[in-house]
Amino acid sequence: MPDIIVKPASLKELWKTLPGLPAARRYLAGGTDIVTADNAGVERSECWVDISDLPELAGVEETAAALVIGAGEKISGLERSAAVRRWCPVLVSAIPHFASPSLRNMATLGGNAGNASPCADGVCALVAEGAFVRLELKGKRRRLPLKDLFTGPKRTALRRDELITAFEVPKRRHAGAYLKLGPRSYFGISKAAVAVAAELERGAVKSASVALGSVAPVPLYAAGVSAWLAGRPLSAGTAVEAAARVKAEVSPITDARSEAEYRREMCGVLLERALLSLAR
Amino acid sequence: MKKDILETKKGNFEITVTVNGELKELSVKNGEFLLDALRRHGWKGTKKGCDTGDCGSCTVILNGRAVLGCLVPAVAAHGGELTTIEGLGTVRDPHPLQEAFVEAGAVQCGFCIPGMILSSKALLDRAPRPTEAEIRKALDGNLCRCTGYVKQVEAVKNASARLAGGKRKRG
Ligand SMILES: Cc1cc2nc3c(=O)[nH]c(=O)nc-3n(C[C@H](O)[C@H](O)[C@H](O)COP(=O)(O)OP(=O)(O)OC[C@H]3O[C@@H](n4cnc5c(N)ncnc54)[C@H](O)[C@@H]3O)c2cc1C
Ligand code: FES
Ligand code: FES
Repeated sequence: MPDIIVKPASLKELWKTLPGLPAARRYLAGGTDIVTADNAGVERSECWVDISDLPELAGVEETAAALVIGAGEKISGLERSAAVRRWCPVLVSAIPHFASPSLRNMATLGGNAGNASPCADGVCALVAEGAFVRLELKGKRRRLPLKDLFTGPKRTALRRDELITAFEVPKRRHAGAYLKLGPRSYFGISKAAVAVAAELERGAVKSASVALGSVAPVPLYAAGVSAWLAGRPLSAGTAVEAAARVKAEVSPITDARSEAEYRREMCGVLLERALLSLAR
Repeated sequence: MKKDILETKKGNFEITVTVNGELKELSVKNGEFLLDALRRHGWKGTKKGCDTGDCGSCTVILNGRAVLGCLVPAVAAHGGELTTIEGLGTVRDPHPLQEAFVEAGAVQCGFCIPGMILSSKALLDRAPRPTEAEIRKALDGNLCRCTGYVKQVEAVKNASARLAGGKRKRG
């Protein structure tokens, strides 16, 4: 742990404090990734800037067109939000698979995205939801499609000191599913995960977006199969062919958790199951 | 309460925390996690099983939420309110959850139990009459290498019935 931890009380204070801090600094939200990295000796900042209680990052808010989820809101807070249940079916389906109850009391979506791991469950679900990410740097704001935030394993398009303030999920009526394959049914990092959001109309898919976890260098938006699904009947035949197609879009590796070929196969199996679950 | 942390001497900080209802000034070391600070100051009921967020034996309730003491920098608890297992009951007057755990035979070596009980308390505070599935999910992050979990799930069920029954009588 670095010697210096500072805790600004507001965004304004944060931007004022930053210039005086050591150059090797990082944000501390729930700490569940950064502390683990620190324990493993791969996190060597001289300063952590504690943003866990910044009021500007908290809460869930509805605008006319979107649900705005604060980057610092705890995952357990989202679990209990009626607005999240209404507008984010994929995220709702992912949350029970996200770590454990006490970790969900600490962890945030901002940290899930900031950590930029390809196996981040919250991020993977939000990519399928078509979310945008709101960023701020010293009062300057910008907005990106969440899928474009990730540039490689543990690498993002974030500028130095740039803060993720919120995620915007466009409001639309859609169905969603999140299936995660891990070493046990709950609490574990995935070997592969599939997130599907789909607008359905009279038994057919009007539009769909598929995202995959742990099978590419980044949380992967599967553009090919997402586009292919549009206009197809939501049938067993469609699910089987989508499964075959998604396997061509992923680029899994073999590591301590699983093997590349198994992961590729499972992307197909999970997508088929996820699509069929939407038909029910 | 003052929110700023006072540096007392190099590498040491005084933090103010309410522990089990009592306001305390604790000196914590640079780089020290809440779990280690608590144990060093004598609250040894909070256990260290893994130090990596995986086992749940360090669970404490901070500002109303069950969190893992091994992942919280001690200074981050400044100004907060903390419940450890020592705050739940005593040997003479145990908390209904503690009683239910003993009666069900849910305790073997006991190492995981403080965390199990605090996670169970967090569940019952939120959902007084949980289903078995809800109990299993709530204890998902609490690993036990002795019991096989069956008795612990039973204990939480029994405690929930007792607590809910008690409330009805009082109400
Ligand atoms: C035992 C264990 C199990 C886990 N299981 C899962 C799981 O099942 N699924 C899963 O997805 N994850 C899992 N995780 C990983 C972790 O809990 C999540 O990634 C979590 O969302 C991280 O959020 P945090 O708030 O704790 O981030 P922190 O650790 O505080 O931060 C992570 C990184 O993001 C940066 N950051 C944080 N907030 C912001 C922000 N607002 N703007 C810019 N940068 C920011 C930090 O500087 C840091 O680099 C697990 C972790 C542990 C220890
Ligand atoms: S010691 Fe904290 S989770 Fe194991
Ligand atoms: S009783 Fe021994 S670890 Fe649970």
